[in-house]
Amino acid sequence: MKPIVSEGAEARIYRTELYGRRILVKRREPKRYRIKELDSSIREYRTRREATALARARSSGASVPRLVGVGRYDLYIEEIKGKTLSSALGIGSGATREAGVQLAILHNAGIAHGDFTPANLILSGKRVYVIDFGLSSLTTGSEERALDLLLMKRQLSRAEYSSFIRAYRSNAAEGNETLARLREVEERGRYQKRTLSNI
Amino acid sequence: MLVLGIESSAHTFGAGVVEAGKVLSNKKAMYEIGTSGMIPKKVAEHHILNANEVIASALSGAGVSVADIEGIAYTKGPGIGSCLQIGQLAAKTLAKKLGIPIVPVNHGIGHIEIARIMANLADPVALYVSGGNSQILKIDAHGKAHYRVLGETFDIGIGNMLDNFARAAGLNPAWGSSVERQAQGGSYISMPYTVKGMDFSFTGILTHAQRQLKLHTKRDVCFSLQETSFSMLCEATERALLLTRSDEICVCGGVAQNSRLKEMLAIVAKDHGARIGYAANEFNADNGAMIAFVGERMLSRGIKASLSKCTIEQRYRIDSAEVVR
Ligand SMILES: Nc1ncnc2c1ncn2[C@@H]1O[C@H](COP(=O)(O)OP(=O)(O)O)[C@@H](O)[C@H]1O
Ligand SMILES: [Mg+2]
Repeated sequence: MKPIVSEGAEARIYRTELYGRRILVKRREPKRYRIKELDSSIREYRTRREATALARARSSGASVPRLVGVGRYDLYIEEIKGKTLSSALGIGSGATREAGVQLAILHNAGIAHGDFTPANLILSGKRVYVIDFGLSSLTTGSEERALDLLLMKRQLSRAEYSSFIRAYRSNAAEGNETLARLREVEERGRYQKRTLSNI
Repeated sequence: MLVLGIESSAHTFGAGVVEAGKVLSNKKAMYEIGTSGMIPKKVAEHHILNANEVIASALSGAGVSVADIEGIAYTKGPGIGSCLQIGQLAAKTLAKKLGIPIVPVNHGIGHIEIARIMANLADPVALYVSGGNSQILKIDAHGKAHYRVLGETFDIGIGNMLDNFARAAGLNPAWGSSVERQAQGGSYISMPYTVKGMDFSFTGILTHAQRQLKLHTKRDVCFSLQETSFSMLCEATERALLLTRSDEICVCGGVAQNSRLKEMLAIVAKDHGARIGYAANEFNADNGAMIAFVGERMLSRGIKASLSKCTIEQRYRIDSAEVVR
């Protein structure tokens, strides 16, 4: 049908036009390994969740793509021109700082992202946009917020993480509580040795 | 090198003999779980009572005598302390008496490596699913090779989840295999589905499934529990496959005996042009041959431990153990 922009673990992204505007469709594709009922309910739930979270994030002042429409498994969203932080060679400190600010805005609005990684952050000019809210939770406790930080900690270099976390801390309303929880999660041992930097 | 491997981390006391990467014998005695589950003290007792006989039958099964053994390997952990101690004691006693080298082995590495080699996989994404463990791993070859954990359960292993459920449902034996049998022909009821990236959790679905027993048939609950929890594993494995750009999946551990899980993972593999591999079921269940298998590789590289360093570690993390490839 339309050109595919990207093919991820869950969704395909197509470019299309709606009322003469160029936008993206994010379509959650069926997974053949799951039985139909379970498959469609997961895809439907995540599509709806992503739409709700995008709307709430935007009204809270976060940089997220504008939501244009929602189908059962389709999300129609504004295309952000730029590059994901995961595809950029070395993430500049401006970008990591901006990522910290964005995550603080989301957490202050009661949204935990659920998959806050450089692959889900788009650098566009000086702004960093957050995408991919399908795994987000809207009733957040410090545990969910801490996991957002942990994902970044695992994937950023030490210097990148330190500028990220400084910006986060000075903008997050419950930053100290979340950081304390992060230490607790790490001490549970599970994650200490995990990093994706060298696979 | 002729190596005897001893496994005793949980319900099974196993002994196996391996030479040049070939399994010559694989014998085990398994604690009868009945409907009440594992009671550590009783399991340890079971191991003490069966150790000699299992080791003797592994030797005779391999057509060797005890004097032929050139090295000993035993499970250091992870596992239940009182159970691990029995295998450790047997291994140290034999090593001392025979004056041969001994090496402690990580239980999880045993599972993954025997499956990986038997299935002829080079560098797969490994899904290791057993009672106490549920992890997605891949070899990290920087420096000394070891398995890196890409994703894992936030709480309990999927095997324990299935066993606990089986007990609540009054299935006999209270095992995952009983859930698989009951699930045949069931219909789907909705259950909590918890995946975060490459991590997952099983306590929510366990509690939910136990409650559903009052409202639905056992068959429907078993079916839905399997479908939902296995889908979680598949989704996380699929992410790991894409992230690492690997083209191989290796599934291993006790729950890898489940044919529905293997069937689902085979679809994941197929849809990404990847190959799936696993060992025969006798090597997915806990066994001594996998310990001998890994032990032989370590001992032939000169990796061994003095008797005083032959400890056990209940929470021996897989990512802290070196893999000899
Ligand atoms: N609004 C957008 N503008 C520009 N590119 C996007 C947008 N949304 C997604 N993409 C691109 O598509 C990729 C996958 O989208 P994402 O929402 O993260 O789905 P997935 O669940 O498959 O990861 C992103 O990494 C990015 O490259
Ligand atoms: Mg994404």
